[in-house]
Amino acid sequence: MTRQLDRFWTVFAREVRGLVRTRVVFVLGAVVAALAFGVARAGGGPSGGYVTTVVDLLVVVELLVPAAAFAIGYRALADATARGEPAVLETYPLSPWTYVAGVYAGRAVALLAVVVVPLLALGAHVATTAGPETTVLATHRGVDSVALYVRFVALTALLGLVTLAVALALSAVANSRRRAILLGLFGLLLVVAGTDVTVLTALGGGLLDESALGTVLALTPSGAYRGLVFEHVLSVAFEGRSGFVPTGIALVASLCWWASGLSLAALWAGFR
Amino acid sequence: MTDDVALTATDLRRSYGDVTALDGVSIDVPTDSVTALIGPNGSGKTTLLEVLLGIERPDAGTVDYAESDAGRRVGYLPQRPTFRPDDTVRETIAFYAALVEDDPDRLLERVGLDTVPDRRVSALSGGMTRLLGIAQALAGDPPILALDEPASGLDPAVSDRIFGVVDSLAADGRAVLLTSHALSLVERTADHVVVVEAGGVAARGSPAALCERTGGPLHETFVDLLSEPTAAVGGGGES
Repeated sequence: MTRQLDRFWTVFAREVRGLVRTRVVFVLGAVVAALAFGVARAGGGPSGGYVTTVVDLLVVVELLVPAAAFAIGYRALADATARGEPAVLETYPLSPWTYVAGVYAGRAVALLAVVVVPLLALGAHVATTAGPETTVLATHRGVDSVALYVRFVALTALLGLVTLAVALALSAVANSRRRAILLGLFGLLLVVAGTDVTVLTALGGGLLDESALGTVLALTPSGAYRGLVFEHVLSVAFEGRSGFVPTGIALVASLCWWASGLSLAALWAGFR
Repeated sequence: MTDDVALTATDLRRSYGDVTALDGVSIDVPTDSVTALIGPNGSGKTTLLEVLLGIERPDAGTVDYAESDAGRRVGYLPQRPTFRPDDTVRETIAFYAALVEDDPDRLLERVGLDTVPDRRVSALSGGMTRLLGIAQALAGDPPILALDEPASGLDPAVSDRIFGVVDSLAADGRAVLLTSHALSLVERTADHVVVVEAGGVAARGSPAALCERTGGPLHETFVDLLSEPTAAVGGGGES
């Protein structure tokens, strides 16, 4: 167990070093920061407080974070396969689970740096520009607070980590850079729009009852994210309205996407 | 050279759809020696090597390894070893060494790359990349080394150096199993030669014994064997 943990850190360190060296993290971080600040300032959210900033950011973040996750993860395992690395690693006492976990953790750290640091910087900007009604803790509905913004950042990080696991699974299936790009684009469309469109199509076709819409949307990564943000961040702005999404189902569904992505990646890596 | 056997494969069979890659191959790989698998392209050498390594699973047959307490059972050099281009030589080998708690500097020194530890992999020549691949294969001090075409695409001087390293690895007490088309180097370096043809063993023996068939170099014997209409002998038959 201890040796597998040591090997996990070995794989993790190599991933982090490789990402820092290619500078992709810095470029993506700059893009996320520029877009987050640009959209928030254009919408005037920061002067209104944390909740109005989240309202400005939500749609953009819902697209941007999965895009960043796929940009960081789409080649994670495909490049190694193209280099013939799995055949060599099979001769080492390194389990596919340890290998995939190390690759994922290294990329996850990079993704969190790309997503969380700009959002926290924007939060600091809000703290210095928002009006006096913004507080630290929201004690009742309608009160803005930094705690709500921290929840938003945490939920956004969750969306990124779930999407990265899906990206890793598709990267494991790809065995060339070209196929990795195609599968990455497919996966991005699936996470950003595909699952929601499927649910809404089912609703339009009468296959789904309208009363179950919130629950079914909570099963998709972006639907769960959007619902949780509405439920736990933006709900202060909706007097007397809640139950946008069942929190438990949304969290379990996100966990299932995450675990399925990593399991598929590890099983595929082991299969070859 | 001793009579100890590092690996015994019995009646290996492997097919890909209608194509038979291995048709009942049996082989012993002795320690302290170099065993060369030679044969034309597509004869099944690489498949045999990968089955012996455990990378490919045979449809039938068994592979048994001698007991060993080494960090890993087999070291493997693929035909075209490729590493992360932005990593340095030392970073590359340190990664593999860490997986089996080995000393990266010892491994680089063993193949003569200790003079260029900070060079990027992308700046290495083909020969140096191959040596880095051999250093990787040595990590964990495995008793068996499987080298797939260790000198292909390299100039004669570099090929000579690679085979020199291979020879010294066997002298250290390892079982070295390689595939190669460089028959003059095989003739000079290998202790045992197995001629693979159409998924079977067409002939086997020491280079000297095989050369006696035609009285010429190994190359002549090789061409002579393959021109025989029933060259391949399934079931690991000898000739």
